[in-house]
Amino acid sequence: MTGATLSTPHLNTEPPRSRGRRELPEGAGNAALVFGAWLLLVLATTITRPDFISHQTLLSVTFTMSVTGVLALAQALVAISGGILDLSIPTALILPSWLAVTLAALGWSSWLVVLITVTTGAAWGALNASIIVWGKLNPIIVTLGTNFAGLAVMLLVFQSAQTPLHSGLSHFGRGYFLGLPNIFWPMLLLLALVGFLMRQTRYGRRAVAVGGSPTAAKSRGISLRKTRFAIFGSAGALAGAAAVLFTGSNANFTPNDGTNYLLSVIAAVILAGISLSGGRGHLWMILPSVGFLSTVPVSLVFFGLNDNWQTVMQGAILIIAVAIDGLRQKRLAR
Amino acid sequence: MSAVDTTLAPHLDNSRSARVKGMLESPVASIAIALAVVIAVGLAWLGGSYLSASNISIIGSFAAVPIIVGTCSGLALMSGVVDLSIGSMVGFSATAFAELTSDGWNAWETAAICLLLSLVCGLINALAIVTFGADPIAATLGMLTVLRGLSTVLNGNTGAIASLVSGFYDFLNQRIGPFPILFVLAMLGVLVATLVATKTRLGRHIRAAGGDERAARRAGISVTRIRYGTLMLSALGAGAGGILYIGQLGGSSNLLGTGLEFQIYAALMIGGYSILRGGVGNPAGGVMGLLVVAGVGNMLDVKSINPYYVNVIVGVLLVAAVLLDRLRGGDAYE
Amino acid sequence: MKPTLRPRRFMRTALTGAIAGLTLLAAAACSSGSTVSSSNGKQNQKFKVCMATGGAGLDWMKGQGDVARVLAKRRGWDYVELSNNNDAATANKNADVFIQDKCKAVIEFNGQPSVNPVLAKKFAAAKIPVITYDIGQKGWYFLGIDNKKAGEAGGAALGRIAKQKWNCNVDLVVSSEAAAAGVVNQQRTGGMRQGVKSVCPNIPASKYVSFEGNGLLSSAQPAARALLAAHTSAKRILVVGINDSGVVGALQAAEQLNRASQVIGWGQDGSLISGSNVNPHLAGSVFYFLEGYPVYAFSKILDKIAAGSPPAVGDDTHNNPTVLLPPCPVTRGQAAKIPAMPQRIKKLLAAPNGTTEDSLFCPNHS
Repeated sequence: MTGATLSTPHLNTEPPRSRGRRELPEGAGNAALVFGAWLLLVLATTITRPDFISHQTLLSVTFTMSVTGVLALAQALVAISGGILDLSIPTALILPSWLAVTLAALGWSSWLVVLITVTTGAAWGALNASIIVWGKLNPIIVTLGTNFAGLAVMLLVFQSAQTPLHSGLSHFGRGYFLGLPNIFWPMLLLLALVGFLMRQTRYGRRAVAVGGSPTAAKSRGISLRKTRFAIFGSAGALAGAAAVLFTGSNANFTPNDGTNYLLSVIAAVILAGISLSGGRGHLWMILPSVGFLSTVPVSLVFFGLNDNWQTVMQGAILIIAVAIDGLRQKRLAR
Repeated sequence: MSAVDTTLAPHLDNSRSARVKGMLESPVASIAIALAVVIAVGLAWLGGSYLSASNISIIGSFAAVPIIVGTCSGLALMSGVVDLSIGSMVGFSATAFAELTSDGWNAWETAAICLLLSLVCGLINALAIVTFGADPIAATLGMLTVLRGLSTVLNGNTGAIASLVSGFYDFLNQRIGPFPILFVLAMLGVLVATLVATKTRLGRHIRAAGGDERAARRAGISVTRIRYGTLMLSALGAGAGGILYIGQLGGSSNLLGTGLEFQIYAALMIGGYSILRGGVGNPAGGVMGLLVVAGVGNMLDVKSINPYYVNVIVGVLLVAAVLLDRLRGGDAYE
Repeated sequence: MKPTLRPRRFMRTALTGAIAGLTLLAAAACSSGSTVSSSNGKQNQKFKVCMATGGAGLDWMKGQGDVARVLAKRRGWDYVELSNNNDAATANKNADVFIQDKCKAVIEFNGQPSVNPVLAKKFAAAKIPVITYDIGQKGWYFLGIDNKKAGEAGGAALGRIAKQKWNCNVDLVVSSEAAAAGVVNQQRTGGMRQGVKSVCPNIPASKYVSFEGNGLLSSAQPAARALLAAHTSAKRILVVGINDSGVVGALQAAEQLNRASQVIGWGQDGSLISGSNVNPHLAGSVFYFLEGYPVYAFSKILDKIAAGSPPAVGDDTHNNPTVLLPPCPVTRGQAAKIPAMPQRIKKLLAAPNGTTEDSLFCPNHS
């Protein structure tokens, strides 16, 4: 990747391993920022409304975290391996979702439906990967294009779809485990699993290396082509998994619903300290990042803010958060 | 191996044939040819009426505001920053303009206020991105959310503000030949921007700042000042677009401008810009990209074909344009 | 590197052009709407009806277009359809296209009515009569429901349930809003609140709360969760909203917070009240049979325009509409007998000319 990336203009592409002056592990600053912000938010809300701390709030936040968390994981996977951003996440969510509810309505077994849904997501990811690899094109642009086309096709296919009430999908989506929503646990599991795979397996470390410096990785014999397919395919599969959670917990949806997730997912990834230039970041940071971003809307309601001002506040919080994060990264780079 | 950025080292052979060849192979030539193909297809499919005064007026009216907004944010792309808040900026500026003029304020004063507000927003963007080092995508995403929220607040319960400023409306709808004045103004803006970008030292500096930030700094170019300038210009262009929308449409709504940023950037990329690589692109190419999309859309309108097909075509064109750019020697993504 | 690439570069420039051209020709091959050829004099003699549908993603919008297309065909008329894409600039452009296309009459469903005055100016100058669905505009034939009355009907029905079950001791009346729908939201959702108030006038104003759900279930759900979590002491909750999706989103949110037994909702538009997936806490909805609007447009207005004696323009929703349709509030039980939209359209088109969906399907009116 050339040095002139628009996403992080001040970062260089040298391997970020010079421990030099700093003794803290990489990413500690960012973690402190996110956890700190989250804690501050919870404290401030609790002071204003002590009934903020309740099982209801916990349920509210964890339900929101579930689908967004898996999608953010998919996005982070792409980012960390140098794919910058996958802008086709909306289609990656909606296409498998539509297939899932269609098959469930036809009476197919739930496990088969889940399998097909995840596979469809993976296939979509592979489609993106093949255009990226064959054309040697930038993923942001390819996925922007495929999303344009993909959502348009989805709108031609259906305008609104319902999740069958009596399907396994719906039962699962509406249940609980250990006091938290059913759909929260797969998110947690996937986060832990993918985080583990990225750090502890050869394949994972290779993907991160490719993100850090494709040229160095290539000279070490890592196949960039295979990595791209693996990463985008996996991200697509994760989006397919998100589709299972999404359809399970939403009685009906439209093709436009996917777009609503895109912005919050990108925000979550950036806030988690996962650099869009690739090669850096801890996937598990997605949990506090999504947690914080999911708590903000709830807090704002407790503060008594009108809906529209909530939107304004969310935007302002994002700007401030990434500005502070940017400053922190600048100081680090010096 | 990352390709050398050829835009900073144009052909050194100054003979006339070499210059002509250089022109024909430039990115602007590609999009010009694409535009010619679109016109040819339009004539073949729709007949001579495709280029009738009435039809050109329709295309021109619809494309005018996106051209103005796109030209200004294209310059930001050239300097290496992507501003995702332009759509919401258009909506917010339009809303503010409609709100004040419907209350009886003088149109000129109101326009000045709206433009000032836009500059302030651009300043905030620049502060976060350039001074604090925030990720441009995340920061402008935050600004997008803030402005959308503010628009909704201002538009109130009915979600719309009616304000038909008749002098303004009549002026914009006058025609010079087949071209609405609004379109002529937009094209004049493109002309100025193209001249600045290609013929002036400022233009070279903008390109340099976007192309290779470190080299530009070493050459004594203040990348900071340039990016502040282009980000504020991008916001200003969007603000102007919003005001012109009110003149054209007679009212604001809380949805005005939604999604405009993706439409514009897709068209700009078809026209040769890159949202990842600064230093490339040309306002002339950008406007042609926008006209290609508008021209295709118009064909589908006149034939009353489902508009979703436009998005499919835009997606395909986008990938094709980037492919072309890559084949021409642009950075291969590996 | 350069010399050998130059001729190939030129070919690749042609490649982009070729791809663009081929894609367009492919789109041409897929064309489904009736075509425009303003240079063909013969076309001008056929009565041309042009419709601008509301925009993306709602099945009744497609339904409205489909029914109109068939009705036009049966009369031997031309029918052209464009989408306003829920965008004012697009609606403006569509108006320009219709005028260039020499439409004899236009039907508008414009979800962004702030631009309607401009459209009215243009159509009036071109002497093209306009029928507007549901959203009033001076000078245009108003055809549709009174959104306010539709809201009130649903709200009153819900209020009656609250009276019977809880004796009007309601802790919270939650409104699922969609600011993007503008005046329709204000009238419909506001109307529902009025309806509840009319049956249970003693519910204090502070108990009426709203959240922004955008009319989409997946947006309404998290917003409603936050709202409900902030009102844990509310045990008897009524839910109203702009449409079924917005209301069911809130009902699902309550289920997710283990408060299913505390909520009762009444929807609007009837999209989620029939079939096998109806939410158990959705007590009813209000059908408008939107896809059946064209029947009224064609038999009450367009036929007369085509015959040369256009009816008087009634452009006011409340006092002087051209055609005011009765909303059809139904309980779940009643809704079970109403077929889904595709079946409704089939039956409608098979019925004699001028039969309305209301007469076919509304249990309370027929």
